[in-house]
Amino acid sequence: MNPCREELPHVYPFRFVERTVEKRGPAEGRVRALVTVNGRRTEAGSFLPPLTLVEVVAQAALLLEGGDPGIGRSGFLAGVSDFTFDRTPESGDVLEVEVRIAGVLGSIVRFEGVVTDGEGRLVASGAVTVKKGAAA
Amino acid sequence: MQQVEELKGRVKELIVRQLKLEIEPASIKDDAPLFGDDPGGLGLDSIDALELVLGIEKEFGIKVQDEEVGVKAFASVNALCEFVESKAA
Repeated sequence: MNPCREELPHVYPFRFVERTVEKRGPAEGRVRALVTVNGRRTEAGSFLPPLTLVEVVAQAALLLEGGDPGIGRSGFLAGVSDFTFDRTPESGDVLEVEVRIAGVLGSIVRFEGVVTDGEGRLVASGAVTVKKGAAA
Repeated sequence: MQQVEELKGRVKELIVRQLKLEIEPASIKDDAPLFGDDPGGLGLDSIDALELVLGIEKEFGIKVQDEEVGVKAFASVNALCEFVESKAA
């Protein structure tokens, strides 16, 4: 069994991150994501739609947090802020996602993510806010 | 007294800036509830609360992570000013 499959509830075709490269603390570290021409998410062409990068950051944060499937299934994306898309990822790209916790208040957490390609070029950056637990 | 008024002004500007509200900072009443459905309040929600937490940390260097503390501190502009003053003391 692929351990990463155990760490996230997300599965094909909505699983975008591969594995943790470096973990520096709870939900802080670096995660790798691959863009493949054979992947479902590049079906529209040989690129990853930029808005998908918001979900890439959210999944990277969850993977670093330990990927508790319970949290993943019961939490939800509550907000997206200050996102910029600098380069459209193309098939063959090995993306790296740097994630850190920007703020926490109770069950609400904001993660900041920076996505770069294999050559260190900025692909996207921004913050996602996640609320753990069921929606009110 | 003047310091208190200056702090209230800073807090109101922070609320408007951080939450990107399209209102004049001075229009926020000192004792109006920031959260909830009170018609005289701002009607903020829990996601806005996190925005305020980040703004307070940036503006005053004060961290708020406990939700209960946040609920009390963000009750109104007056409560928020008292909270900032207590942490600065």
